[in-house]
Amino acid sequence: MQTKLKILVCIKQVPDTNASLCLNNGMPEYDEKTVYVINRYDEYALEEALQLKDRGLTSYIHTISVGPGRVQKALRRSLEMGADEAFHIQTQDDGLNTPHVIAQTITQFAQHAYDIIFTGVMSEDAMNQQTGQLIAAMLGYNHATGVTELSLINNTITITRELDAQESLMYNLPIPCVISVQSSIQKPRYPSLSNVLRARKQEIAIIKPDLAIPFAQTKCYFTMPQKTTQCQFIEGSISQKVTELYAILHKNAVL
Amino acid sequence: MSILVIADVKNHTVNPSTLEILSAANEIAKKNNMPMYILIPFGNIGGDSYCSNEFKTCILDLDIEQYRALNLVKYISTVIREVNASYIIGLHTPFSIDYIPALSVEINAQCVTQIHSLDVSEYITVTRGSHAGKLDQHIVINETPIILTILPGSFAPYTITDVQTKEITTIHIHEKDKHVYCKFITKDSKDTSLDEADVIVGAGKGIGSRENLNLIFEFAKLFPHSAVAGSRIVCDYGWLPYSKQIGITGKSIAPKVYIACAISGSSQHVAGIKGAKTIIAINKDPYAPIFNVSHYGVVADIFEFIPQFIDFVQNNT
Repeated sequence: MQTKLKILVCIKQVPDTNASLCLNNGMPEYDEKTVYVINRYDEYALEEALQLKDRGLTSYIHTISVGPGRVQKALRRSLEMGADEAFHIQTQDDGLNTPHVIAQTITQFAQHAYDIIFTGVMSEDAMNQQTGQLIAAMLGYNHATGVTELSLINNTITITRELDAQESLMYNLPIPCVISVQSSIQKPRYPSLSNVLRARKQEIAIIKPDLAIPFAQTKCYFTMPQKTTQCQFIEGSISQKVTELYAILHKNAVL
Repeated sequence: MSILVIADVKNHTVNPSTLEILSAANEIAKKNNMPMYILIPFGNIGGDSYCSNEFKTCILDLDIEQYRALNLVKYISTVIREVNASYIIGLHTPFSIDYIPALSVEINAQCVTQIHSLDVSEYITVTRGSHAGKLDQHIVINETPIILTILPGSFAPYTITDVQTKEITTIHIHEKDKHVYCKFITKDSKDTSLDEADVIVGAGKGIGSRENLNLIFEFAKLFPHSAVAGSRIVCDYGWLPYSKQIGITGKSIAPKVYIACAISGSSQHVAGIKGAKTIIAINKDPYAPIFNVSHYGVVADIFEFIPQFIDFVQNNT
């Protein structure tokens, strides 16, 4: 018989990809109007977990986020989508903590209480692509990244990892394990009205981070990206731009 | 102290882009005067041509069909300790990124991923794209061992001049678990349109809907031998099939001309278009990172620009 799974989904809150960004002393700074959302890949991770719940295979789904007060909005959204409980590990800021520190914090929280820990394949802002692998290594679990399909039959998880446009890789993972989910055609759901109403009343547990974990930030600085080409901008009115682009394409012998 | 390069795998063989990270490793090797090793993580991926008297080659005698991150990490970290590696360098691909960060827990090192350039002039500084390509993050390496993953297409490939098979050490693994196996699934590869096209028109999230994609198809039709492709998100939305996805998790393209329409240009996408001879970007955001890698830029709304362009071509040819 299928045992019911205890699931943890790790959620990062990130600035909306359209947010305007500037540099202050070599560090990225967002303006006050910035909208923060759930990291896109983490939504796909949560969706994967919710599909197991839909099939009655979960005992509960917990979500966790490490960051300042604003991340509660992302956690609230996870409850609206269908997670059962949410945990907020409160820190000053999350943007530049190393993946190692975030993974350590989550590992400390998770202990060995979960059967599957889901993460998104990466965060849209830092794009480190490490957290899931690090949590697994810290817990000594098996893991897989870039997962686009998952099946669970008789306590056996079979995952498909996407390698590129031509190739994917399929294998079994024992429970407990960590799974980093890649975005796919399986769209994350919109919250149902009943879940929205339920989530509104629900409390989000606030947890102080373990002080033994040094919240070290990556020693680094930021610049605008280096240009690898000297982009020649085509100027003028729309019709002038049209004529000039035509000339360029003609010169390149493709038109 | 040494530098260890870990070979990546593509189509059951060593990914030729491994030579690019060998070039990057060589820069650090020359700067620090360290010996260089290359580790071929599987015995059945034809790694024995990756040898030379300029570096040493280790082959882990594992089967690729028995891949599991947890096992590989155990064996590779032993090799890292044996060769006393200060710099461990891998390729940033969906295959390798699955296990490389986990090595950092095992050997207690920092790990920096998705690097696109390297500066060894004074200190060793690595640069990676961040914030969806809107910024570059520079990290000065002040502690080793350190693990780095480098984006494909970032360095010119290393040239192996003299193949010296005597420099190969094979590490035999005795405790193989016969129950562990994995299956490589090759997707329908009949679609070669992106390999054969002279002009590829790429659509980004900015096209807004599947219906609007018709505009991109009409635009592409102006060019003989053309094809339409998209960024990952366009394929996630189901507007285009994944076989038309350009980028690190999709295809790498090398047409005469690539025209990126309403594509912002994250490092994941850009890694797939470096082979294009000429890159043209059309985007209404003048700060879109795609312009940093383009030869020609048109700052315009595609819904205004493309219809006028189509009219112009139809009336003038």
